[in-house]
Amino acid sequence: MKKIMILLFVSLFTFSANSNAKSITLGWAAWDPANALQELTKEFTAETGIDVNFEFVPWPNFADRMLNELNNKGKTFDLLIGDSQWIGAGAVYGHYVKLNDFFDKEGISMNDFSPATVYAYSTWPKGSENYYALPAMGDALAWAYRKDWFDRPELKSEFKKKHGYDLGVPASWDQLYDMCTFFQGREIDGQKRYGAAINTERGSEGITMGVTAAMYAWGMEYENPNKPYDMEGYFNSPQAVEAVEFYRKLYEDCAPPGHSDAYMVANLDAYKSGQVAFQMNWYAFWPGVSKEDSDGRVSGFFANPKQNVAAATLGGQGISVVKYSDKQDLALEYIKWFARPDVQQKWWDLGGYSCHNDVLNSPSFPTSTVYAQGFLDSMGIVKDFWQEPTFVELMLPMQEAIHDYVVNGKGTAKGALDKIIEEWVEVFEADGKL
Amino acid sequence: MSVKKKFKGLSDKAVAWLFIGPSVFLLLAINIYPLIYAIRMSFTNFYANKIGREPQFVGLKNYIKVLNKEAIWEKMQVTANFMFWTLLLQALIGLGLALLLNRKFKGNELLTTLIVLPMMLSPAVVGVFWTYLYNPQVGLFNYVVNFFYDFGSFDMIGSSELAPWSIVIVDTWMWTPFTMLICLAGLRSVPNYLYEAAEVDRASKWQQFIYITLPSVLPFLLLALLFRGIENFKMFDMVVELTSGGPGSATELASINLKREAFEKWKTGYSSAFAVILFVTIFGFGNVYVKVMNKIKER
Repeated sequence: MKKIMILLFVSLFTFSANSNAKSITLGWAAWDPANALQELTKEFTAETGIDVNFEFVPWPNFADRMLNELNNKGKTFDLLIGDSQWIGAGAVYGHYVKLNDFFDKEGISMNDFSPATVYAYSTWPKGSENYYALPAMGDALAWAYRKDWFDRPELKSEFKKKHGYDLGVPASWDQLYDMCTFFQGREIDGQKRYGAAINTERGSEGITMGVTAAMYAWGMEYENPNKPYDMEGYFNSPQAVEAVEFYRKLYEDCAPPGHSDAYMVANLDAYKSGQVAFQMNWYAFWPGVSKEDSDGRVSGFFANPKQNVAAATLGGQGISVVKYSDKQDLALEYIKWFARPDVQQKWWDLGGYSCHNDVLNSPSFPTSTVYAQGFLDSMGIVKDFWQEPTFVELMLPMQEAIHDYVVNGKGTAKGALDKIIEEWVEVFEADGKL
Repeated sequence: MSVKKKFKGLSDKAVAWLFIGPSVFLLLAINIYPLIYAIRMSFTNFYANKIGREPQFVGLKNYIKVLNKEAIWEKMQVTANFMFWTLLLQALIGLGLALLLNRKFKGNELLTTLIVLPMMLSPAVVGVFWTYLYNPQVGLFNYVVNFFYDFGSFDMIGSSELAPWSIVIVDTWMWTPFTMLICLAGLRSVPNYLYEAAEVDRASKWQQFIYITLPSVLPFLLLALLFRGIENFKMFDMVVELTSGGPGSATELASINLKREAFEKWKTGYSSAFAVILFVTIFGFGNVYVKVMNKIKER
């Protein structure tokens, strides 16, 4: 009995000691970089004694879960690594703490971070000097390809004979299409292979992120640069229409069977299982792909190919302090630590994509991994979807209309883009922007 | 003593209210108040995510917008098709299985248990694992179909022609056992003497089915279909997991669209109007259906 009492007393003491410990909660998507961040954060806890709890939400539910939390002024998260498109809503609706004073006080300069990432992940209104996040995870949509297949002499010569140029990293979307169709249905090592695993997901943002990779490369602009929210003739320009038509052709002629609702994980699975020659995906996944290919023989990586212009779809996130948190001071301490150049270097070493200039401009960076140069190239040409507070309302009609055209084969590309503009006008009108 | 006296002094009516009071309160708080609130919201331009922005009265604008939107009618058509085919198949197969299981044979109990297993699963789980079964490369569904007739590779959830059938098949697979169980209860309530009398009158098996079995089981079947109709009108989780409403909007049921408008686009006023229209529709259909069902019962 005495032993039981001692045990109870010790447990009670331990529990109360733990409950008094300083801790914060960080929310992010459940994917490889999140595990790297968890690993990195152990050093923060060791240095400061502040425990960091993590809540990682699978991508398909990430936006729903986090935005509901913010709209409900929830206190679950002290820190949030939110998608780049959320920055407008975070700032306008007051979900994120404005960090300017904190940055000034702690000597954190946004000039120390890559300009494209500061613009995309931190500022609202865009391009202003109002900062609501610290660039945390640089990312862009890119491509991985089966280098081992590309290196086969018989395939190389057959391709050259057919298309008149070398089988290798495609210099344009047209070349990408040639290569994808070359592998489509081809038997390699006794197994039927396909062209490319591309984004076709309907539920969240997948197909939009995929099709915009083509639309940006064709030179699409969302709006008239001289007249904000004037989209007619820009978003549905002949180039944009051609890009959407091309994306449908790519899906119809080059995707593996059953790839009608696919995004990050499905693309990764199709690639890893040897079904496809190419996969479209975020840089965030390349450390994982590369890890399984230590001698770099199987996979190669390249930035989004250009068509009319060089451009890539922006991914990535900034880290923000949630306004409704009761532990803002501890959360800010984490940001202060995370902004340190030495921590940023470790972040890159562990598989995260640092946006810090000290890391990116280091002479050894381009050769530090097989995809590092591609990442640098991509971050110089990135373009993002609307970052308006109403971005979800803007994303949904695009998801539906593009999926309807590309996957469902319904209507025309021009019709789909016109329909999207119609819905967007309604959203901007309701938001008082038009 | 005084407390006892006090309770003793309560009228029957007061005691009745004491018992039903908590239920009435809960009903008002959980059902009636949100309904009235939604009706009120449906006349405004309220956006739940636009903090600090006061909703403004817009009259019937939201209702007119919903009813004039072509996309809404497409979703209603998708919902109607889904309901028609699922109810028809579940009625036919459910009744057939009930007739089969109403006979005494070895393994009857085991077979009944196996048949009802699907409806014990979570619809979300069912949706997820059927995506694997439908996979054109490794899915069992394609394999089984091609075993009987070689259609080649086909994509059930990626094709706009097949996707609506994919959700009908899964719902039928999952919920036919429910119809079957209700019909079975109906079949077992038919007194044996009716069949004995029919035998004496030299009625054929078909006549016994038409004049005894079917009229007896019909009210049960209609009740099962009422439940399934209401459930399928608001079907959400299984379809979202299986097709996300795609390809395009080929399987986007009214309930999925409503959720997207209300909790993703945050058009609270507009989606409240849509919800009220759906409520009135199902309420109207439900009432007519119950009246028809009661008439059949009275016969």
